[in-house]
Amino acid sequence: MAQPLVKKDDDRDDEEYSPFLGIEKGAVLQEARVFNDPQLDARRCSQVITKLLYLLNQGETFTKIEATEVFFSVTKLFQSRDIGLRRMVYLMIKELSPSADEVIIVTSSLMKDMNSRTDMYRANAIRVLCRITDGTLLTQIERYLKQAIVDKNPVVASAALVSGIHLLQTNPEIVKRWSNEVQEAVQSRAALVQFHALALLHQIRQNDRLAVSKLVTSLTKGTVRSPLAQCLLIRYTSQVIRESGVNTQTGDRPFYDYLEGCLRHKAEMVIFEAARAITVLSGVTTRELTPAITVLQLFLSSSKPVLRFAAVRTLNKVAMTHPMAVTNCNIDMESLISDQNRSIATLAITTLLKTGNESSVDRLMKQITNFMSDIADEFKIVVVDAIRSLCLKFPLKYRSLMNFLSNILREEGGFEYKKAIVDSIVILIRDIPDAKESGLLHLCEFIEDCEFTYLSTQILHFLGNEGPKTSDPSKYIRYIYNRVILENATVRASAVSTLAKFGAMIDSLKPRIFILLRRCLFDNDDEVRDRATLYLNTLGGDGSVVETDKDVKEFLFGSLDIPLTNMETSLKNYIQNPSEEPFDINSVPKEVKSQPLVEKKAPGKKPTGLGAPPTGPTSTADTYERILSSIPEFTSFGKLFKSSAPVELTEAETEYAVNVVKHIFDRHVVFQYNCTNTIPEQLLENVFVIVDASEAEEFSEVGSKPLKSLPYDTPGQTFVAFEKPEGVPAVGKFSNMLRFTVKEVVDTSTGEAEDDGVEDEYQLEDFEVVAADYMVKVGVSNFRNAWESMGPDFERIDEYGLGPRESLAEAVSTVINLLGMQPCEGTEVVPSNSRSHSCLLSGLYIGNMKVLVRLSFGIDASKEVAMKLAVRSEDENVSDTIHDIVASG
Amino acid sequence: MLLAVLIANSEGNILVERFNGVPAEERLHWRSFLVKLGADNLKGVKNEELLVASHKSVFIVYTVLGDVSIFVVGKDEYDELALAEAIFVITSALKDVCGKPPTERLFLDKYGKICLCLDEIVWKGLLENTDKERIKRLVRLKPPTEF
Repeated sequence: MAQPLVKKDDDRDDEEYSPFLGIEKGAVLQEARVFNDPQLDARRCSQVITKLLYLLNQGETFTKIEATEVFFSVTKLFQSRDIGLRRMVYLMIKELSPSADEVIIVTSSLMKDMNSRTDMYRANAIRVLCRITDGTLLTQIERYLKQAIVDKNPVVASAALVSGIHLLQTNPEIVKRWSNEVQEAVQSRAALVQFHALALLHQIRQNDRLAVSKLVTSLTKGTVRSPLAQCLLIRYTSQVIRESGVNTQTGDRPFYDYLEGCLRHKAEMVIFEAARAITVLSGVTTRELTPAITVLQLFLSSSKPVLRFAAVRTLNKVAMTHPMAVTNCNIDMESLISDQNRSIATLAITTLLKTGNESSVDRLMKQITNFMSDIADEFKIVVVDAIRSLCLKFPLKYRSLMNFLSNILREEGGFEYKKAIVDSIVILIRDIPDAKESGLLHLCEFIEDCEFTYLSTQILHFLGNEGPKTSDPSKYIRYIYNRVILENATVRASAVSTLAKFGAMIDSLKPRIFILLRRCLFDNDDEVRDRATLYLNTLGGDGSVVETDKDVKEFLFGSLDIPLTNMETSLKNYIQNPSEEPFDINSVPKEVKSQPLVEKKAPGKKPTGLGAPPTGPTSTADTYERILSSIPEFTSFGKLFKSSAPVELTEAETEYAVNVVKHIFDRHVVFQYNCTNTIPEQLLENVFVIVDASEAEEFSEVGSKPLKSLPYDTPGQTFVAFEKPEGVPAVGKFSNMLRFTVKEVVDTSTGEAEDDGVEDEYQLEDFEVVAADYMVKVGVSNFRNAWESMGPDFERIDEYGLGPRESLAEAVSTVINLLGMQPCEGTEVVPSNSRSHSCLLSGLYIGNMKVLVRLSFGIDASKEVAMKLAVRSEDENVSDTIHDIVASG
Repeated sequence: MLLAVLIANSEGNILVERFNGVPAEERLHWRSFLVKLGADNLKGVKNEELLVASHKSVFIVYTVLGDVSIFVVGKDEYDELALAEAIFVITSALKDVCGKPPTERLFLDKYGKICLCLDEIVWKGLLENTDKERIKRLVRLKPPTEF
């Protein structure tokens, strides 16, 4: 090594010297010249390679010339017969990953090794070749690789199989030809060969459902030799179960027994994999879930942190869908709050927040308060999110939860954490009317000492919208004007806008607001002065108490109905082509260019706080409204009542991905088809959907808007509009065919396509407009108050027999989904084994009619479910309609 | 995918760092994140006692062996349990090569061997060999005994 070392007996002294002390790239590259010696010193060469590896592992990089030089020298070492050195050479070549034009130097040596009689040369040569090879070389060596897959030596077979897994990414068509050999390797007696073969075979056949199903069927009956392979098999089994569904005749789920059997496996890895697979089964029953929860509960008190973590992580996920199933673990979970490992503690807390009931909230909050001070921000954010959900679930507890949030808001913390808290408070204010005033005051106190400009401006914006609607708006003025005195220019400008909003909304405050705004005319920042001048003028700054003009209010509170990207492009063009004409905002196109719509994930979407205020430009509903209002044909439809979550009309991984969003208006529905072209070699033009509404009698097509062009991977939308009778919740089924002109793309990097195209069509799945599409989920904070204040004038009560059901919970969720209403006060959760249940729902029916529903369910020994439905609404027809929906559903 | 294997000394200096599928610009971030994680949590931890953390959708299992701390990072199928398996193989191989839980000096003395072992264990993000006896033979280009 570079520094000669004197061997000492005492270990501690040895530690002071590193064999790589003072190592320097230039010097090592010099040393690498020994590789060129005619008489190779294998030991010395190995030492130099070690130093090169050390440099590379430290993040050191070689220039192209350096790498090439080392690479060429290393290839000379193939002459040496020293086995240790040869092993180092293989590693070194992989690390250097030579470029395509250099590879040729070693291919002959490696090909020779690949056919060597020494097994281990073969295995290593395969790995190196596959690392550095390209498509053409691969076809030359394919024959040897296929042989290697079924080689008797497990190391050679594994090397070829793992290479196959990597090569599948770059040369799938070649690797797919090996499936016979891989199939044979799956039956191997060597545990790791079976593991690697199983992984590769599944990757080759993952799109062939039947093949995967066969593979799973044969292996679950046969022997799987390693826990790792067993885990893979469980994963694939779970995929097959997902795709096959429950046997409707016997009610049995295929492969469930296999999964349950794996819960008794000796390897913990397998037990967990099986437990997780069971917990994610769709529509999993309590009976199916119980054995999995029981083993997970045992692991909660394991001495190994990894196992505790794995158990609590899995239970945390279960708690999102089946909170009642996890309650048995609550005692074990509570003891994990003090776990040394903060990841475990956080998961335990958030699980408890999901499974806790109303009475346990206060106790839990006390425990969390102590815990919050000693965890990092990233964990705190998770807790804040969980507390927000809890508060929405138990609105009556808003006082203690809001207090908790305001307390932690005052403590130290980074931007993301503070933003999470502020977002949560905003959401609570919005969803729980009783929480509004105290929430706004907490936010006001926060901006008195807030170091984040972004949060201050967002809160001021929110305050301007909500503050004027409170019982005593004047109390907020002090906090807002303090910002004008104390803060930076950005915050001052926001504060000026907020003041103007109060002035516009509350006539009695107007004269005082004018005094404050006039003071801002002397601010040293242009933007602040400009805004003050603008608002004084628009509000009529002469101090007279007059009602503010509707246009002015629209100007202050309305959202900018122009996509910001369009605005940016127009402004850039304007600057590039100077003109005498002032910039005209009306010249900016309102049409939304094809944009990736993120609402695919809508069902699991987290409520967003300040980032997307309801009047702000980013909320999904607002995006839809803007898209629709930019289409002249649809502007006469009036106000958009509801947009559904997207319904997928194609399966995953098809050539064209299409989903539909149903937009409901008073007398119309508009179907927005979101299309994505997943083929890089194709450009689609004039894309539209032919809708067959023969099974939707009350609907008649009134217009459509095709999509001009749909390039690869850039989602676009096409629309079809239907008329329907006003006020009637018309339902029906729609069949869809996608039509388009397909053009071949000449250059995939630029997207340039040939001029001529071919007309083609693509069958999409059917979808339905259902009664729930006419209902918007709107929660109430106190159901009882809302029920009483609605009064019994239009109350309709009736009883229904729902027939035999799988469980009470299933019956409850079916009715909730049928009505499409918002469950209140956590009543959608049915405790396991209960024989009766009450569920409270609230919603807004088309025509903006408030509707409240009380459901009482009972189940008897033969699983027959009976239900009493009481509806109160603002209109007797609406109450009757709700009954009609249930009766016909 | 097994995203990273990182071995550091007790002061947090990197001894071995192998990333798979992690963009170059994110590596520095991962390195400092892991070193800080170790500094915060590994004091007083017994040899080979496994600690676990998760960061976004990524899992980290880490431990101490003699003077060195070992971190493995994975995602998707390489969850905390698969990583525990991987780190177990790595620690066994290290003990085997060094003859005992290594001092930093001993680790560096055996650096070449250790690199070879890691090469046998993890190959471009996939776990390849899990048996220390076999690994011991493979780094000397000897076929496995069971064959």
